[in-house]
Amino acid sequence: MELRASRVLCAGGIALALALGSLSACGDFSSVRDPRALYIHLGSEPGHLNPITSTEAVASSINQHIYETLLDRDYDTAKLIPQLAESWTISGDRLRYRFRLKKGILWSDGVELTADDIVYSFKTIKDPNVACAPLKVYYIDVREVRKIDRYTVEFRYSKQYYQALEICGTIPIVPKHVFGDGTDFNTHKNDRFPVGTGPFRFERWDTGKRIVLVRNERYKGKTPDLHRIVYRIVAEPNIALQMVKKGELDVMSVRAIQWVRQTNSEKFRQGFYKLEYYLPTYNYIGWNAARPLFADRRVRLAMTHLVNREAILDKLLFGIGEIVSGSSYLYSKGYDKSIKPWPYDPVKARKLLAEAGWRDTDGDGILDRNGKKFAFTFTMPSGSKFAERLGTIMKEDLSKVGIAMDINRYEWAVFVQKLHQRDFDAVTLAWSLSWEDDPYQLWHSTQAAGGSNFCSFKNAEADDIIIRLRKEFDERARIKLYHRFHRILHEEQPYTFLYCTPAQVVVSRRFGGVKVHLRGLNYLEWKVAAIDD
Amino acid sequence: MIKYLVKRLLLLLPTFIGISLITYAMIRLAPGDYTTLRAGLQGELKAGAIGTEIIEQEKKLYGLDKPVIVGYWDWFKRLVVLDFGVSRKDGRPVAERIAEALPITLSLNIISMIIVYIISIPGGIVSALKKDSLYDRVSSLVLFILYSLPSFWVGLLLLMVFSGGDYLNLFPLGGIISDWAEDFSFFDRMVNIAWHLALPVITLTYGGFAFLSRYTRATMLDVINQQYIMTARAKGLSEKRVVLVHAFRNSLVPLVTLMATILPGLLGGSVIVESIFSIPGMGMLAFEAILARDIPVIMAIASISAVLTLLGILIADILYGVVDPRIRLEARQ
Repeated sequence: MELRASRVLCAGGIALALALGSLSACGDFSSVRDPRALYIHLGSEPGHLNPITSTEAVASSINQHIYETLLDRDYDTAKLIPQLAESWTISGDRLRYRFRLKKGILWSDGVELTADDIVYSFKTIKDPNVACAPLKVYYIDVREVRKIDRYTVEFRYSKQYYQALEICGTIPIVPKHVFGDGTDFNTHKNDRFPVGTGPFRFERWDTGKRIVLVRNERYKGKTPDLHRIVYRIVAEPNIALQMVKKGELDVMSVRAIQWVRQTNSEKFRQGFYKLEYYLPTYNYIGWNAARPLFADRRVRLAMTHLVNREAILDKLLFGIGEIVSGSSYLYSKGYDKSIKPWPYDPVKARKLLAEAGWRDTDGDGILDRNGKKFAFTFTMPSGSKFAERLGTIMKEDLSKVGIAMDINRYEWAVFVQKLHQRDFDAVTLAWSLSWEDDPYQLWHSTQAAGGSNFCSFKNAEADDIIIRLRKEFDERARIKLYHRFHRILHEEQPYTFLYCTPAQVVVSRRFGGVKVHLRGLNYLEWKVAAIDD
Repeated sequence: MIKYLVKRLLLLLPTFIGISLITYAMIRLAPGDYTTLRAGLQGELKAGAIGTEIIEQEKKLYGLDKPVIVGYWDWFKRLVVLDFGVSRKDGRPVAERIAEALPITLSLNIISMIIVYIISIPGGIVSALKKDSLYDRVSSLVLFILYSLPSFWVGLLLLMVFSGGDYLNLFPLGGIISDWAEDFSFFDRMVNIAWHLALPVITLTYGGFAFLSRYTRATMLDVINQQYIMTARAKGLSEKRVVLVHAFRNSLVPLVTLMATILPGLLGGSVIVESIFSIPGMGMLAFEAILARDIPVIMAIASISAVLTLLGILIADILYGVVDPRIRLEARQ
């Protein structure tokens, strides 16, 4: 009945708009969609799907179903488990990693995967003519990858590194017989027509509209229940949520405001699961220690005491998220739960500032030291609503203790350049990390010059821990080092660590077996619950 | 006439080089570049993704290490053989990306422009003839209200009301063609596309009426008080002939100036409308290219619209002569 009504209205709409009455073009979406297909929302379109040259998060979220790596991470424990590799051995000096491939694994075009593909992929990453800078960084210390026999490869490291197994095991692997045809790798035609070994294979790409994957019949693992995965590209989140409600999308990551305000009706809850999980990311305010103002630890600590993190979390993020006190992933063993975030405490902040020499001597309401006023600029990327509101709240709170803060917004490209040039006083940004993150790039003093240590954090003990960490293969000893490092960060406050906010996803109840794992959602285990007519 | 045309056409070349050189220099000198940008996502950086040396190496790959003028010359040499280069984002030829987006934007713009002209010009003429009447006042009030409504708000509202499913379900939620309609016959496909385009066209047009109809009204009022109109009436010509032949033709001259902006305007898409209605058109293409510093795409779009602007101006100049014979294009010998 409802369906018919909508058809009639729909036809009316056409007649209205065009004074044309062709009923055939009109139809209710749910009656024509493939019930065994999963429709996923994509907020932006990837340029291509080459796992080596692509840097986009959307691309890797699609590629994980098409391509496989030697090792995978377990969905619940995030531990490394075999995927393409059947087994692996590590040499006594921990410089050589040998992987034995499973036999009979086929690329989706029917050619067998062999050691040559892995050697080829490695050489491609190392090739200076291949534009994959963000990936190259990880393979600097890998000297070579050698084919031992058709199903065995060996990675050779030039120095010991505790994450070597992960880095070797998760190297993106592309088919040599497809990409090694002599044409330019960066603009290869198969960048947009991937051939992989995973449970799904690429079917079609309608630019600006959708990307369709279909079940890979050559896949040797457990066959997924879903026949197709359709990624629909919808830039505007309000429209995407409306499409979810109309049944045109099954999976969507929603914004906090949508989570709180627009997905709580009885009807919505009956039709959709609301799922939350925390991924290894956090946002922060970074204080540039290379500037005299924030070189003093006491000043940075005072700033942290002046940021009312709990109130901001409630006000801006509807209380969704966890306040963090360090750089490691909140739910990893390396994160020391006994370290509590510094509380909001303006009185203590004032004391710390006074100790550091900042007093209001001329009575103008602004702190000063040696004739210099306490004034700085807060730099943020434009377009971030959170940063903007955070800035406004901080400006007001800081002015109460006599600190003058200006806000500068920059377009993302300019913002990134400012970071590279260390041209800022304070910034707000987020990091996305791996499950067990190597603090070297972010926190080692050598990285203050050209790496990601924008805030020029320099601490001799931390440097020492970071270097020891890289060569420590015993997990328990490593956790100890991580905890000590966490403590140093807490004391030094190079950043005011803010929040780890969860991914919030709505999923249609058409699917069964939907579970939240540590790593998030695994579409492969979903069952098509009911095929409604 | 031919001499004039040749002269004008020859002048286009240096003007074009000037425009494109300035555009190129501006992108290159603007802070931020493609390679450095790739190190991070929007709003979030990937920890440890930056190595200065490796980034320098990659810059070389894209010619970003060369001086601006050399980079421009490289680009210009390829342009001469109509090669716009390869988009940094997806490695496809820029021409292919534009060819995908252009038809959508063109049809949207042409449809909405025709609607705007068909409604505004007669509306403006009537307003001028019945100056200060109730119709004149009410129509200008309504048109200015429409003009002031922001399109992102109207667009979202239209979608929520007419296709959200909560109220009415008359139109699709964005897109330009239904997934299942692509194998239909030509006619049915057109109907399906028109069904998708109805709301975006409304969003694109409603704000355009005010300007053009007020403009027509003003130029028409100028003309209608001239003595030759009085003469025409005195001769006993019908009111229709007076208005449409004598008055309207003369009021066309300022409208022709507007024509010069139409040609390049056809090419540009509205980022807002395109993103709300999920239409992969020129607006989004250009917008994303600029944010990503995708130089080949930016340069291609900029130079196409530069050429169209120059041609538009030329055509307008020629049209002046057509609508007003008193305007001579060349000095008499």
